[in-house]
Amino acid sequence: MRRLRPYAVPYLLWMGLFILIPTIILIILGFTNLELYNIGVFDITLVNFSIFVQDQVVNALWNSLSYSFVTTLICFVIGYPVAYYLSTLSEKKRKILLAMMIVPLWSNMLLRIIAWEKIFTPTSIIADIFGISLDLLGTPTGVLIGMIAMYLPFMIFPIFSVLEKMDYKLIEAAKDLGASDLQTFVKVTFPLSSGGVVSGVIMTMLPAMTSFVLPARIGLGKINLIGNIIESKFMKEVLGSSGASINQGAIISLLLMVFSVISFVLITRVDKEGETLI
Amino acid sequence: MMKLSLKRKIIRIIGLSFTVLSFLMIFTPILVILVLSINASTKGYSWEGFTLKWYLELFQKDVMREPIMNTLVIAFASTIIATVLGTMFAIGINALEKKKRIQMMVINNVPVVNPDIVTGISLMIVFSLLSFTLGYYTVLIAHVFFSIPYVVLSIMPRLKKLDPNLYEAGLDLGCSRISGVFRVILPNISTGIISGALMAFTMSIDDFIITYFTSGAEYMNVSTWLYATLSRGRSFTPAAYAYNIIIFAITIAIILFVNLKRDRKEKTV
Repeated sequence: MRRLRPYAVPYLLWMGLFILIPTIILIILGFTNLELYNIGVFDITLVNFSIFVQDQVVNALWNSLSYSFVTTLICFVIGYPVAYYLSTLSEKKRKILLAMMIVPLWSNMLLRIIAWEKIFTPTSIIADIFGISLDLLGTPTGVLIGMIAMYLPFMIFPIFSVLEKMDYKLIEAAKDLGASDLQTFVKVTFPLSSGGVVSGVIMTMLPAMTSFVLPARIGLGKINLIGNIIESKFMKEVLGSSGASINQGAIISLLLMVFSVISFVLITRVDKEGETLI
Repeated sequence: MMKLSLKRKIIRIIGLSFTVLSFLMIFTPILVILVLSINASTKGYSWEGFTLKWYLELFQKDVMREPIMNTLVIAFASTIIATVLGTMFAIGINALEKKKRIQMMVINNVPVVNPDIVTGISLMIVFSLLSFTLGYYTVLIAHVFFSIPYVVLSIMPRLKKLDPNLYEAGLDLGCSRISGVFRVILPNISTGIISGALMAFTMSIDDFIITYFTSGAEYMNVSTWLYATLSRGRSFTPAAYAYNIIIFAITIAIILFVNLKRDRKEKTV
Protein backbone atom coordinates (compact mmCIF):
# COMPACT_ATOMS: atom_id res chain seq x y z
CA MET A 1 0.00 0.00 0.00
CA ARG A 2 2.97 2.30 0.58
CA ARG A 3 3.23 2.99 -3.10
CA LEU A 4 -0.18 4.67 -2.97
CA ARG A 5 1.00 7.36 -0.58
CA PRO A 6 1.64 9.95 -3.32
CA TYR A 7 -2.14 10.02 -3.91
CA ALA A 8 -2.52 12.04 -0.71
CA VAL A 9 -0.03 14.75 -1.69
CA PRO A 10 -2.24 16.80 -4.06
CA TYR A 11 -4.89 16.84 -1.34
CA LEU A 12 -2.49 18.54 1.05
CA LEU A 13 -1.71 21.20 -1.57
CA TRP A 14 -5.40 21.67 -2.39
CA MET A 15 -6.35 22.10 1.27
CA GLY A 16 -3.43 24.49 1.76
CA LEU A 17 -4.67 26.61 -1.13
CA PHE A 18 -8.24 26.83 0.15
CA ILE A 19 -7.73 26.81 3.93
CA LEU A 20 -4.28 28.11 4.84
CA ILE A 21 -3.93 30.89 2.24
CA PRO A 22 -7.35 32.51 2.85
CA THR A 23 -6.74 32.39 6.61
CA ILE A 24 -3.46 34.28 6.16
CA ILE A 25 -5.16 36.78 3.83
CA LEU A 26 -7.98 37.28 6.35
CA ILE A 27 -5.44 38.03 9.08
CA ILE A 28 -3.65 40.54 6.82
CA LEU A 29 -6.96 42.13 5.77
CA GLY A 30 -8.11 42.42 9.36
CA PHE A 31 -4.98 44.11 10.67
CA THR A 32 -4.18 46.36 7.69
CA ASN A 33 -5.80 48.65 5.15
CA LEU A 34 -5.03 46.29 2.25
CA GLU A 35 -7.70 46.34 -0.45
CA LEU A 36 -8.67 42.84 -1.56
CA TYR A 37 -9.75 43.90 -5.05
CA ASN A 38 -6.84 46.28 -5.55
CA ILE A 39 -3.85 44.64 -3.94
CA GLY A 40 -0.94 46.98 -3.39
CA VAL A 41 1.01 48.55 -0.58
CA PHE A 42 -0.63 48.43 2.83
CA ASP A 43 -0.08 49.70 6.34
CA ILE A 44 -0.62 47.86 9.57
CA THR A 45 -3.50 49.43 11.45
CA LEU A 46 -5.97 48.62 14.19
CA VAL A 47 -8.62 50.91 12.71
CA ASN A 48 -10.78 47.94 11.65
CA PHE A 49 -11.34 47.11 15.30
CA SER A 50 -13.48 50.23 15.55
CA ILE A 51 -16.45 48.10 14.48
CA PHE A 52 -16.51 46.62 17.97
CA VAL A 53 -17.81 49.91 19.35
CA GLN A 54 -20.74 49.93 16.92
CA ASP A 55 -23.97 49.01 18.72
CA GLN A 56 -25.15 46.99 15.76
CA VAL A 57 -22.05 44.77 15.84
CA VAL A 58 -22.03 44.37 19.62
CA ASN A 59 -25.70 43.41 19.50
CA ALA A 60 -25.07 40.89 16.75
CA LEU A 61 -22.23 39.32 18.72
CA TRP A 62 -24.39 39.07 21.82
CA ASN A 63 -27.29 37.65 19.78
CA SER A 64 -25.04 35.08 18.13
CA LEU A 65 -23.74 33.86 21.47
CA SER A 66 -27.08 33.86 23.28
CA TYR A 67 -29.20 32.38 20.45
CA SER A 68 -26.69 29.66 19.65
CA PHE A 69 -26.30 28.83 23.35
CA VAL A 70 -30.04 28.51 24.00
CA THR A 71 -30.55 26.58 20.75
CA THR A 72 -27.75 24.16 21.60
CA LEU A 73 -28.99 23.68 25.17
CA ILE A 74 -32.56 22.90 24.08
CA CYS A 75 -31.33 20.68 21.24
CA PHE A 76 -29.24 18.76 23.77
CA VAL A 77 -32.10 18.40 26.26
CA ILE A 78 -34.41 17.11 23.52
CA GLY A 79 -31.76 15.37 21.41
CA TYR A 80 -30.03 13.21 24.01
CA PRO A 81 -33.17 11.34 25.12
CA VAL A 82 -34.14 10.91 21.46
CA ALA A 83 -30.73 9.48 20.54
CA TYR A 84 -30.88 7.24 23.61
CA TYR A 85 -34.39 6.09 22.82
CA LEU A 86 -33.51 5.37 19.19
CA SER A 87 -30.46 3.35 20.24
CA THR A 88 -32.63 1.05 22.39
CA LEU A 89 -34.94 0.08 19.52
CA SER A 90 -34.63 -3.03 17.36
CA GLU A 91 -32.32 -2.71 14.38
CA LYS A 92 -35.13 -2.49 11.87
CA LYS A 93 -37.06 0.26 13.69
CA ARG A 94 -33.84 2.10 14.36
CA LYS A 95 -32.91 2.13 10.69
CA ILE A 96 -36.33 3.35 9.59
CA LEU A 97 -36.58 6.12 12.19
CA LEU A 98 -33.05 7.30 11.52
CA ALA A 99 -33.70 7.39 7.78
CA MET A 100 -36.87 9.38 8.46
CA MET A 101 -34.82 11.90 10.37
CA ILE A 102 -32.24 12.30 7.59
CA VAL A 103 -34.78 12.58 4.78
CA PRO A 104 -36.06 16.11 5.64
CA LEU A 105 -32.52 17.43 5.37
CA TRP A 106 -32.70 16.80 1.63
CA SER A 107 -35.30 19.49 1.35
CA ASN A 108 -33.99 22.92 0.41
CA MET A 109 -32.89 24.87 3.50
CA LEU A 110 -34.20 28.16 2.18
CA LEU A 111 -37.64 26.72 1.48
CA ARG A 112 -37.75 25.17 4.94
CA ILE A 113 -37.06 28.60 6.41
CA ILE A 114 -39.77 30.10 4.20
CA ALA A 115 -42.12 27.37 5.43
CA TRP A 116 -41.51 28.44 9.05
CA GLU A 117 -42.09 32.01 7.95
CA LYS A 118 -45.53 30.95 6.69
CA ILE A 119 -46.27 29.00 9.87
CA PHE A 120 -45.43 31.99 12.05
CA THR A 121 -47.69 34.39 10.13
CA PRO A 122 -51.12 34.83 11.78
CA THR A 123 -53.01 34.49 8.50
CA SER A 124 -51.07 31.49 7.25
CA ILE A 125 -52.04 28.36 5.40
CA ILE A 126 -51.62 26.48 8.70
CA ALA A 127 -54.17 28.81 10.30
CA ASP A 128 -56.48 28.21 7.35
CA ILE A 129 -56.25 24.42 7.43
CA PHE A 130 -55.69 23.58 11.10
CA GLY A 131 -57.00 26.68 12.80
CA ILE A 132 -53.70 27.23 14.62
CA SER A 133 -52.80 30.87 14.34
CA LEU A 134 -49.30 31.90 15.38
CA ASP A 135 -47.79 35.35 15.32
CA LEU A 136 -44.10 34.79 15.88
CA LEU A 137 -42.41 36.64 13.02
CA GLY A 138 -39.81 39.06 14.31
CA THR A 139 -39.81 37.53 17.80
CA PRO A 140 -36.96 35.72 19.60
CA THR A 141 -39.27 32.72 20.18
CA GLY A 142 -39.88 32.38 16.45
CA VAL A 143 -36.18 32.53 15.62
CA LEU A 144 -35.37 30.02 18.36
CA ILE A 145 -38.03 27.52 17.24
CA GLY A 146 -36.76 27.83 13.68
CA MET A 147 -33.17 27.24 14.76
CA ILE A 148 -34.01 24.28 16.98
CA ALA A 149 -36.00 22.61 14.21
CA MET A 150 -33.19 23.26 11.73
CA TYR A 151 -30.26 22.03 13.82
CA LEU A 152 -31.79 19.35 16.09
CA PRO A 153 -30.80 16.46 13.77
CA PHE A 154 -27.15 17.54 13.98
CA MET A 155 -27.32 17.01 17.75
CA ILE A 156 -29.10 13.66 17.51
CA PHE A 157 -26.92 11.97 14.83
CA PRO A 158 -23.49 12.06 16.53
CA ILE A 159 -24.89 11.09 19.95
CA PHE A 160 -26.86 8.27 18.38
CA SER A 161 -23.87 6.98 16.43
CA VAL A 162 -21.80 6.72 19.63
CA LEU A 163 -24.61 5.14 21.68
CA GLU A 164 -25.32 2.66 18.91
CA LYS A 165 -21.72 1.42 18.86
CA MET A 166 -21.43 1.25 22.64
CA ASP A 167 -20.59 -2.11 24.13
CA TYR A 168 -23.72 -3.18 25.96
CA LYS A 169 -21.73 -5.59 28.11
CA LEU A 170 -20.25 -2.62 29.97
CA ILE A 171 -23.70 -1.60 31.14
CA GLU A 172 -24.51 -5.15 32.20
CA ALA A 173 -21.20 -5.30 34.05
CA ALA A 174 -22.02 -2.08 35.91
CA LYS A 175 -25.40 -3.51 36.91
CA ASP A 176 -23.85 -6.81 38.01
CA LEU A 177 -21.50 -4.84 40.19
CA GLY A 178 -24.48 -3.30 41.95
CA ALA A 179 -24.89 0.07 40.24
CA SER A 180 -28.41 1.47 40.06
CA ASP A 181 -29.90 2.60 36.73
CA LEU A 182 -29.03 6.21 37.49
CA GLN A 183 -25.49 5.35 38.59
CA THR A 184 -24.96 3.25 35.48
CA PHE A 185 -26.08 6.12 33.31
CA VAL A 186 -24.03 8.80 35.08
CA LYS A 187 -20.88 6.72 35.48
CA VAL A 188 -20.88 4.49 32.40
CA THR A 189 -23.31 5.39 29.62
CA PHE A 190 -22.97 9.16 29.61
CA PRO A 191 -19.14 9.30 29.86
CA LEU A 192 -18.92 6.79 27.01
CA SER A 193 -21.18 8.95 24.88
CA SER A 194 -19.32 12.19 25.63
CA GLY A 195 -17.54 12.15 22.27
CA GLY A 196 -20.88 12.21 20.48
CA VAL A 197 -22.12 14.95 22.79
CA VAL A 198 -19.11 17.16 22.02
CA SER A 199 -19.56 16.64 18.26
CA GLY A 200 -23.29 17.23 18.55
CA VAL A 201 -22.87 20.44 20.57
CA ILE A 202 -20.37 21.83 18.07
CA MET A 203 -22.30 20.75 14.97
CA THR A 204 -25.35 22.53 16.41
CA MET A 205 -23.71 25.59 17.93
CA LEU A 206 -21.47 26.68 15.04
CA PRO A 207 -24.17 26.69 12.34
CA ALA A 208 -26.64 28.35 14.73
CA MET A 209 -24.10 31.03 15.62
CA THR A 210 -23.36 31.82 11.98
CA SER A 211 -26.80 31.47 10.42
CA PHE A 212 -27.93 34.56 8.56
CA VAL A 213 -30.89 33.68 6.37
CA LEU A 214 -32.96 32.34 9.25
CA PRO A 215 -32.67 35.45 11.48
CA ALA A 216 -33.12 37.67 8.44
CA ARG A 217 -36.35 35.95 7.35
CA ILE A 218 -38.00 34.76 10.57
CA GLY A 219 -36.57 37.65 12.62
CA LEU A 220 -37.74 40.10 9.92
CA GLY A 221 -34.25 41.63 10.04
CA LYS A 222 -34.84 42.85 13.60
CA ILE A 223 -32.65 40.15 15.09
CA ASN A 224 -29.16 40.26 13.60
CA LEU A 225 -26.44 37.68 14.15
CA ILE A 226 -22.73 37.77 13.23
CA GLY A 227 -23.60 36.13 9.91
CA ASN A 228 -25.79 39.10 8.96
CA ILE A 229 -22.94 41.51 9.72
CA ILE A 230 -20.46 39.45 7.70
CA GLU A 231 -22.89 39.33 4.79
CA SER A 232 -23.33 43.10 4.86
CA LYS A 233 -19.56 43.64 4.98
CA PHE A 234 -18.58 41.23 2.21
CA MET A 235 -21.40 41.24 -0.31
CA LYS A 236 -21.04 44.74 -1.71
CA GLU A 237 -21.87 43.84 -5.27
CA VAL A 238 -24.88 41.76 -4.33
CA LEU A 239 -26.41 44.03 -1.73
CA GLY A 240 -25.03 47.36 -2.88
CA SER A 241 -24.76 48.35 0.76
CA SER A 242 -22.72 51.41 1.57
CA GLY A 243 -21.42 49.97 4.84
CA ALA A 244 -19.53 47.21 3.08
CA SER A 245 -15.93 46.87 4.18
CA ILE A 246 -14.02 43.69 3.55
CA ASN A 247 -11.40 44.63 6.13
CA GLN A 248 -14.02 44.99 8.86
CA GLY A 249 -15.67 41.79 7.67
CA ALA A 250 -12.29 40.07 7.93
CA ILE A 251 -11.99 41.00 11.62
CA ILE A 252 -15.39 39.47 12.38
CA SER A 253 -14.58 36.39 10.29
CA LEU A 254 -11.37 35.95 12.26
CA LEU A 255 -13.38 36.09 15.46
CA LEU A 256 -15.61 33.33 14.09
CA MET A 257 -12.52 31.35 13.15
CA VAL A 258 -11.38 31.52 16.78
CA PHE A 259 -14.63 29.77 17.80
CA SER A 260 -14.14 27.35 14.98
CA VAL A 261 -10.57 26.49 16.03
CA ILE A 262 -11.60 25.96 19.66
CA SER A 263 -14.40 23.66 18.51
CA PHE A 264 -12.03 21.87 16.22
CA VAL A 265 -9.48 21.20 18.95
CA LEU A 266 -12.30 19.81 21.14
CA ILE A 267 -13.60 17.53 18.40
CA THR A 268 -10.12 16.30 17.56
CA ARG A 269 -9.62 15.34 21.19
CA VAL A 270 -12.68 13.13 21.37
CA ASP A 271 -12.73 11.89 17.80
CA LYS A 272 -9.41 11.94 15.98
CA GLU A 273 -10.57 10.74 12.60
CA GLY A 274 -13.95 12.39 12.45
CA GLU A 275 -15.98 9.21 12.73
CA THR A 276 -18.84 11.01 14.48
CA LEU A 277 -19.02 13.74 11.84
CA ILE A 278 -21.11 11.91 9.26
CA MET B 1 -38.82 -4.49 41.39
CA MET B 2 -42.16 -2.84 40.65
CA LYS B 3 -40.69 0.55 41.39
CA LEU B 4 -37.79 -0.03 39.06
CA SER B 5 -39.94 -1.02 36.11
CA LEU B 6 -42.16 2.02 36.70
CA LYS B 7 -39.09 4.26 36.59
CA ARG B 8 -37.99 2.61 33.35
CA LYS B 9 -41.44 3.08 31.93
CA ILE B 10 -41.30 6.79 32.69
CA ILE B 11 -37.89 7.07 31.03
CA ARG B 12 -39.24 5.26 27.98
CA ILE B 13 -42.24 7.58 27.81
CA ILE B 14 -39.99 10.64 28.01
CA GLY B 15 -37.79 9.24 25.24
CA LEU B 16 -40.79 8.43 23.11
CA SER B 17 -42.49 11.80 23.56
CA PHE B 18 -39.28 13.72 22.80
CA THR B 19 -38.85 11.58 19.69
CA VAL B 20 -42.39 12.42 18.58
CA LEU B 21 -41.73 16.11 19.29
CA SER B 22 -38.50 16.01 17.24
CA PHE B 23 -40.19 14.41 14.28
CA LEU B 24 -42.98 16.96 14.50
CA MET B 25 -40.48 19.84 14.42
CA ILE B 26 -38.44 18.34 11.61
CA PHE B 27 -41.40 17.37 9.43
CA THR B 28 -43.64 20.41 9.86
CA PRO B 29 -41.82 22.57 7.27
CA ILE B 30 -41.75 19.69 4.77
CA LEU B 31 -45.48 19.28 5.19
CA VAL B 32 -46.02 22.99 4.62
CA ILE B 33 -43.89 22.85 1.46
CA LEU B 34 -45.92 19.87 0.22
CA VAL B 35 -49.23 21.63 0.93
CA LEU B 36 -48.05 24.84 -0.78
CA SER B 37 -46.98 22.88 -3.84
CA ILE B 38 -50.49 21.51 -4.40
CA ASN B 39 -52.43 24.60 -3.33
CA ALA B 40 -54.18 26.63 -6.02
CA SER B 41 -53.40 29.93 -4.31
CA THR B 42 -50.41 31.91 -5.63
CA LYS B 43 -49.74 33.82 -2.41
CA GLY B 44 -50.05 30.76 -0.20
CA TYR B 45 -51.90 32.36 2.70
CA SER B 46 -54.97 30.18 2.42
CA TRP B 47 -56.08 26.84 1.00
CA GLU B 48 -57.82 27.32 -2.31
CA GLY B 49 -58.17 23.79 -3.53
CA PHE B 50 -55.99 21.05 -4.95
CA THR B 51 -53.99 21.62 -8.11
CA LEU B 52 -51.00 20.22 -9.96
CA LYS B 53 -50.52 23.30 -12.09
CA TRP B 54 -47.29 24.33 -10.31
CA TYR B 55 -45.74 21.01 -11.26
CA LEU B 56 -46.74 21.61 -14.86
CA GLU B 57 -45.50 25.18 -14.76
CA LEU B 58 -42.09 23.88 -13.85
CA PHE B 59 -41.82 22.23 -17.26
CA GLN B 60 -43.71 24.81 -19.29
CA LYS B 61 -42.56 28.23 -18.18
CA ASP B 62 -39.07 29.60 -18.21
CA VAL B 63 -39.07 31.43 -14.87
CA MET B 64 -37.07 28.87 -12.98
CA ARG B 65 -35.41 27.03 -15.82
CA GLU B 66 -32.03 28.69 -15.54
CA PRO B 67 -31.51 28.30 -11.76
CA ILE B 68 -32.75 24.70 -11.94
CA MET B 69 -30.42 23.83 -14.80
CA ASN B 70 -27.50 25.49 -12.97
CA THR B 71 -28.28 23.56 -9.78
CA LEU B 72 -28.46 20.21 -11.57
CA VAL B 73 -25.36 20.76 -13.74
CA ILE B 74 -23.30 21.80 -10.71
CA ALA B 75 -24.64 18.91 -8.61
CA PHE B 76 -23.80 16.25 -11.20
CA ALA B 77 -20.44 17.71 -12.21
CA SER B 78 -19.25 18.38 -8.66
CA THR B 79 -20.39 14.93 -7.49
CA ILE B 80 -18.44 13.17 -10.23
CA ILE B 81 -15.28 15.23 -9.72
CA ALA B 82 -15.44 15.11 -5.91
CA THR B 83 -16.05 11.35 -5.88
CA VAL B 84 -13.09 10.60 -8.16
CA LEU B 85 -10.71 12.94 -6.33
CA GLY B 86 -12.02 11.99 -2.87
CA THR B 87 -11.56 8.28 -3.59
CA MET B 88 -8.02 8.88 -4.78
CA PHE B 89 -7.17 11.02 -1.76
CA ALA B 90 -8.74 8.53 0.66
CA ILE B 91 -6.65 5.70 -0.79
CA GLY B 92 -3.53 7.86 -0.45
CA ILE B 93 -4.37 8.87 3.13
CA ASN B 94 -5.10 5.29 4.13
CA ALA B 95 -1.66 4.21 2.87
CA LEU B 96 0.12 6.71 5.14
CA GLU B 97 1.65 5.72 8.46
CA LYS B 98 -0.69 6.17 11.42
CA LYS B 99 0.47 9.58 12.66
CA LYS B 100 0.40 11.20 9.24
CA ARG B 101 -2.91 9.56 8.47
CA ILE B 102 -4.50 11.13 11.52
CA GLN B 103 -2.99 14.51 10.65
CA MET B 104 -4.45 14.31 7.15
CA MET B 105 -7.85 13.33 8.54
CA VAL B 106 -7.74 16.34 10.86
CA ILE B 107 -7.08 18.59 7.83
CA ASN B 108 -9.82 16.77 5.93
CA ASN B 109 -12.32 17.60 8.67
CA VAL B 110 -11.63 21.34 8.72
CA PRO B 111 -14.27 22.19 6.08
CA VAL B 112 -16.73 19.78 7.75
CA VAL B 113 -16.54 21.54 11.11
CA ASN B 114 -16.00 25.08 9.79
CA PRO B 115 -19.22 27.08 9.49
CA ASP B 116 -20.29 27.39 5.84
CA ILE B 117 -19.96 31.14 5.97
CA VAL B 118 -16.24 30.85 6.82
CA THR B 119 -15.70 28.34 4.02
CA GLY B 120 -17.61 30.59 1.61
CA ILE B 121 -15.57 33.67 2.46
CA SER B 122 -12.30 31.74 2.31
CA LEU B 123 -13.10 30.45 -1.18
CA MET B 124 -14.21 33.90 -2.30
CA ILE B 125 -10.88 35.34 -1.14
CA VAL B 126 -8.85 32.71 -3.01
CA PHE B 127 -10.88 33.31 -6.18
CA SER B 128 -10.35 37.05 -5.95
CA LEU B 129 -6.60 36.53 -5.41
CA LEU B 130 -6.44 34.36 -8.50
CA SER B 131 -8.59 36.97 -10.32
CA PHE B 132 -11.19 34.37 -11.24
CA THR B 133 -14.51 35.86 -12.32
CA LEU B 134 -17.20 34.54 -9.99
CA GLY B 135 -19.64 32.30 -11.83
CA TYR B 136 -20.03 28.71 -13.02
CA TYR B 137 -16.41 27.61 -12.56
CA THR B 138 -15.95 29.15 -9.11
CA VAL B 139 -19.19 27.57 -7.88
CA LEU B 140 -18.10 24.23 -9.32
CA ILE B 141 -14.70 24.42 -7.58
CA ALA B 142 -16.43 25.46 -4.34
CA HIS B 143 -18.84 22.51 -4.46
CA VAL B 144 -16.01 20.08 -5.24
CA PHE B 145 -14.11 21.58 -2.31
CA PHE B 146 -16.83 21.09 0.30
CA SER B 147 -17.87 17.66 -1.03
CA ILE B 148 -14.48 15.92 -1.05
CA PRO B 149 -14.15 15.71 2.78
CA TYR B 150 -17.49 13.88 3.00
CA VAL B 151 -16.45 11.44 0.29
CA VAL B 152 -13.18 10.78 2.16
CA LEU B 153 -15.05 10.34 5.46
CA SER B 154 -17.44 7.77 4.02
CA ILE B 155 -14.71 5.77 2.25
CA MET B 156 -12.21 5.67 5.14
CA PRO B 157 -14.01 3.06 7.31
CA ARG B 158 -14.18 0.68 4.31
CA LEU B 159 -10.51 1.15 3.52
CA LYS B 160 -9.52 0.44 7.10
CA LYS B 161 -11.30 -2.92 6.96
CA LEU B 162 -9.45 -3.84 3.79
CA ASP B 163 -6.47 -6.17 4.30
CA PRO B 164 -3.41 -4.33 2.89
CA ASN B 165 -1.91 -7.69 1.93
CA LEU B 166 -4.60 -8.11 -0.71
CA TYR B 167 -3.24 -5.19 -2.69
CA GLU B 168 0.34 -6.45 -2.31
CA ALA B 169 -0.80 -9.88 -3.48
CA GLY B 170 -2.37 -8.25 -6.52
CA LEU B 171 0.91 -6.57 -7.32
CA ASP B 172 2.81 -9.85 -6.88
CA LEU B 173 0.41 -11.49 -9.29
CA GLY B 174 1.32 -8.96 -11.93
CA CYS B 175 -0.99 -5.99 -11.42
CA SER B 176 0.51 -2.58 -12.01
CA ARG B 177 0.12 0.06 -9.30
CA ILE B 178 -2.94 1.49 -11.02
CA SER B 179 -4.60 -1.71 -12.14
CA GLY B 180 -4.14 -2.98 -8.58
CA VAL B 181 -6.22 -0.05 -7.37
CA PHE B 182 -8.95 -0.80 -9.91
CA ARG B 183 -9.00 -4.56 -9.47
CA VAL B 184 -8.38 -4.96 -5.75
CA ILE B 185 -9.14 -1.78 -3.83
CA LEU B 186 -12.08 -0.18 -5.65
CA PRO B 187 -14.35 -3.27 -5.70
CA ASN B 188 -13.88 -3.59 -1.94
CA ILE B 189 -14.75 -0.01 -1.10
CA SER B 190 -17.56 0.48 -3.63
CA THR B 191 -20.30 0.88 -1.01
CA GLY B 192 -18.30 3.66 0.66
CA ILE B 193 -17.80 5.37 -2.70
CA ILE B 194 -21.51 5.21 -3.49
CA SER B 195 -22.59 6.63 -0.14
CA GLY B 196 -19.94 9.34 -0.44
CA ALA B 197 -21.22 10.27 -3.90
CA LEU B 198 -24.82 10.38 -2.64
CA MET B 199 -23.78 12.63 0.20
CA ALA B 200 -21.88 14.95 -2.15
CA PHE B 201 -24.91 15.13 -4.45
CA THR B 202 -27.45 15.90 -1.74
CA MET B 203 -25.19 18.57 -0.24
CA SER B 204 -24.52 20.24 -3.57
CA ILE B 205 -28.13 20.35 -4.68
CA ASP B 206 -29.28 22.17 -1.52
CA ASP B 207 -26.30 24.40 -0.88
CA PHE B 208 -27.01 28.03 -0.30
CA ILE B 209 -24.34 29.79 1.78
CA ILE B 210 -21.19 28.68 -0.05
CA THR B 211 -22.80 29.21 -3.46
CA TYR B 212 -23.96 32.65 -2.34
CA PHE B 213 -20.41 33.78 -1.57
CA THR B 214 -18.77 32.23 -4.64
CA SER B 215 -21.29 32.82 -7.43
CA GLY B 216 -21.21 36.58 -8.02
CA ALA B 217 -24.33 38.50 -8.96
CA GLU B 218 -25.14 36.80 -12.28
CA TYR B 219 -24.89 33.06 -11.75
CA MET B 220 -27.61 31.57 -9.55
CA ASN B 221 -28.69 28.18 -8.32
CA VAL B 222 -32.20 27.60 -6.97
CA SER B 223 -31.28 28.62 -3.41
CA THR B 224 -29.53 31.86 -4.32
CA TRP B 225 -32.27 32.65 -6.84
CA LEU B 226 -34.91 32.27 -4.11
CA TYR B 227 -32.89 34.45 -1.77
CA ALA B 228 -32.34 37.14 -4.40
CA THR B 229 -36.06 37.17 -5.25
CA LEU B 230 -37.05 37.52 -1.60
CA SER B 231 -34.38 40.15 -0.90
CA ARG B 232 -35.85 42.31 -3.63
CA GLY B 233 -39.16 42.07 -1.81
CA ARG B 234 -40.78 40.01 -4.55
CA SER B 235 -42.60 36.73 -4.15
CA PHE B 236 -41.74 33.67 -6.18
CA THR B 237 -43.96 31.20 -7.97
CA PRO B 238 -45.18 28.17 -5.97
CA ALA B 239 -43.47 26.12 -8.69
CA ALA B 240 -40.42 26.42 -6.40
CA TYR B 241 -42.24 24.23 -3.86
CA ALA B 242 -43.09 21.77 -6.61
CA TYR B 243 -39.43 21.68 -7.67
CA ASN B 244 -38.40 20.94 -4.09
CA ILE B 245 -40.92 18.11 -3.73
CA ILE B 246 -39.76 16.52 -7.01
CA ILE B 247 -36.06 16.69 -6.05
CA PHE B 248 -36.97 15.38 -2.60
CA ALA B 249 -38.89 12.42 -4.06
CA ILE B 250 -36.10 11.58 -6.52
CA THR B 251 -33.48 11.68 -3.74
CA ILE B 252 -35.53 9.35 -1.55
CA ALA B 253 -36.06 6.99 -4.47
CA ILE B 254 -32.34 6.85 -5.31
CA ILE B 255 -31.30 6.28 -1.70
CA LEU B 256 -33.95 3.59 -1.19
CA PHE B 257 -32.87 1.87 -4.38
CA VAL B 258 -29.18 1.91 -3.41
CA ASN B 259 -29.93 0.65 0.10
CA LEU B 260 -32.23 -2.14 -1.04
CA LYS B 261 -29.69 -3.25 -3.60
CA ARG B 262 -26.96 -3.23 -0.98
CA ASP B 263 -29.08 -5.23 1.49
CA ARG B 264 -29.80 -7.84 -1.15
CA LYS B 265 -26.13 -8.02 -2.09
CA GLU B 266 -25.12 -8.47 1.52
CA LYS B 267 -27.69 -11.23 1.99
CA THR B 268 -26.49 -13.21 -1.01
CA VAL B 269 -22.79 -12.92 -0.09
